[in-house]
Amino acid sequence: MQHTLSILLQNEAGALVRVAGLFAARGHNIDTLTVAPTADPAVSHLMLTVRGDDAALSQILQQTRKLVDVLQVQHATHA
Amino acid sequence: MPLLKPTPVAEAEPAVAHHPLAGTAMSGADVVVQVLADEGVEVLFGYSGGAILPVYDAVFRHNAEHLKPDGSEPMPLIVPANEQGAGFMAAGFARASGKVGVAVVTSGPGATNMVTPVRDSAADSIPMVVICGQVATQAIGSDAFQEAPVSNIMSPCAKHVFLVTEAEKLEATLRTAFTIARSGRPGPVVVDVPKDVQNATVVFDGKQELPLPGYRARLRAIEQATLSDADCDAFFQALLQAKRPLIYAGGGVIASGSSALLRDFADSFGLPVTTTLMGIGSFDTTHPLALNMLGMHGTAYANYAVEDCDFLFALGARFDDRVASVPSQFAPKAKFIAHIDIDPAEINKVKAADWHHVGPLDRALQRLTQYGKAHGHQPALADWHAHVAALKRKHAMNYDRESTLIQPYAVLEEINRHTQGRAIISTGVGQHQMWAAQYLDFRSPRHWLTSGSMGTMGFGLPAAVGAQFARRDALVIDVDGDASIRMNLGELETVTTYGLPVKVLVLNNVGDGMVRQWQKLFFKGRFASSDKSLHRKDFVRAAEADGFGWARRLERREDLAATIAEFLAFDGPAFLEVMIDPDAGVYPMVGPGANYSQMITGDFIPARQAAQTGEAAASDAF
Repeated sequence: MQHTLSILLQNEAGALVRVAGLFAARGHNIDTLTVAPTADPAVSHLMLTVRGDDAALSQILQQTRKLVDVLQVQHATHA
Repeated sequence: MPLLKPTPVAEAEPAVAHHPLAGTAMSGADVVVQVLADEGVEVLFGYSGGAILPVYDAVFRHNAEHLKPDGSEPMPLIVPANEQGAGFMAAGFARASGKVGVAVVTSGPGATNMVTPVRDSAADSIPMVVICGQVATQAIGSDAFQEAPVSNIMSPCAKHVFLVTEAEKLEATLRTAFTIARSGRPGPVVVDVPKDVQNATVVFDGKQELPLPGYRARLRAIEQATLSDADCDAFFQALLQAKRPLIYAGGGVIASGSSALLRDFADSFGLPVTTTLMGIGSFDTTHPLALNMLGMHGTAYANYAVEDCDFLFALGARFDDRVASVPSQFAPKAKFIAHIDIDPAEINKVKAADWHHVGPLDRALQRLTQYGKAHGHQPALADWHAHVAALKRKHAMNYDRESTLIQPYAVLEEINRHTQGRAIISTGVGQHQMWAAQYLDFRSPRHWLTSGSMGTMGFGLPAAVGAQFARRDALVIDVDGDASIRMNLGELETVTTYGLPVKVLVLNNVGDGMVRQWQKLFFKGRFASSDKSLHRKDFVRAAEADGFGWARRLERREDLAATIAEFLAFDGPAFLEVMIDPDAGVYPMVGPGANYSQMITGDFIPARQAAQTGEAAASDAF
């Protein structure tokens, strides 16, 4: 099942690498990834899609929320 | 005349509010040292190099200008043989003290040698701050001398990594690194500091921290989480229905300082307690309700109790594969699993919980104990206590007591006779580590220092050095193996350089014993690269060469008691190599991919049923 995650991220050195690295290290392939600025220059908006069952998704959401630079993680849609 | 009295801490202004140096211009390197001093850092571990020289100079000046009344340095910098040693010394310090361990290393190889301790500390939730020098900001990315992409390398290994590119943010970043390291689920934080940032002049503030809105909001929510009456009621309703409840306690009990509260809970409601490898010391192993360690090499009685329990209460533990190799078959009769952890990602990760709480364990245990007592909840567990006592009797730890060869278990029992569970024990990784976990008593937390999750050989000796700095008067023993100690053998010299009375015990079975045990079981005894009988190392002469005033080899069983007594009584660094039975195995063993009912108990511990090595044993399970 494909899931779209919406992540607000502090714009710090290495922050994007930490998100991408977490997904890679935990065995998730990121199918698509876009990074966009927000009204706040200190915050970036990430949209990414990954595949996985509910348990895998729940776990990667929880792990992403542990990243210090991450402000917010939302599970936008799943198809 | 008014009497001068010290201001009580509670009434005092926070020290950071009026830092005496606020507004002072100083170098980035001096900022580093000042923040370390403000954080109460008592000792640093690290190795010098070009990109960290300004900080080392600032440490030197700080120590020279702030000598203590007894002439000692306020923040001694302990130099290992290799940066990995510094990392494990800092980790050993942190594990033995509960404080944040600090290591300071140079760029490039200094930082990359630190990767293993950082990952090790993240995996075992040990608070540590590692400061790495980095090439100057304008040289980053130019393949400069001793440059490594530390932020990239460390990010997946650490709890967090900062690369400080603006000198103005150095102070806030360093202070925040300590906050992150010790808060929530503790872990290592790496701060990469380019040399130009160390040399820059900045104005010291004295209290700045980074805002970290996401992390702090999540942390606040977890720290403020409380158990409602309904939560407590649901917990006790399930507990009162249970006939065979069991506590499974992990490293989180120690990290949260909840050992006394765990004991109070267990005593109040009569639940037996088994601990993980990381949880050893969280519950007095000599307590009648103690079942010691569970898991792959847990005691047979603990593992059978897990098989038999109908209610499992997991505290600061995470059902990892050394405990729950086959999660669906772990605690198969448990109708109710309750789980408390500080990390929301651990709830339902491996084993679904029927009841859970994410929050500080100390408060949760206190609340449950108070609630249960106030409502007069008293589970009737006489039958279960009798059952558990019978398991402990029937399936007690045992070994070949008639052998003419020195049995490693006998060596540890002899040490235990002297230490009575009150020594600080560090270990390498492998058979000796498991034997120490099985045969030594631990009366209180922070006395058992071992690389649990990562399983890093070479951990024991540097961890013992760090622990001795945390507990100057304690008896610190590194229980090591001949293969593990080789990994960081250079740190023998560190022990004598600093005159530490560390006791180093090497159980020598001439090779990688645990690897051989698996090769015997799963690879038809083909000892690929695990036999070291042709290796020429003379450990005793090596220890003597490094300045050990007491270094012996024990080869005769009849000399065991006298030698151990002399070894432990020696006033100073002591090294003892014991030539043990090379075929001694670690039992019980739950094979990879097997469940607890299939446990192999060996020839000397009675099993309940025929053992199996596990279907997946020779394939992918590890």
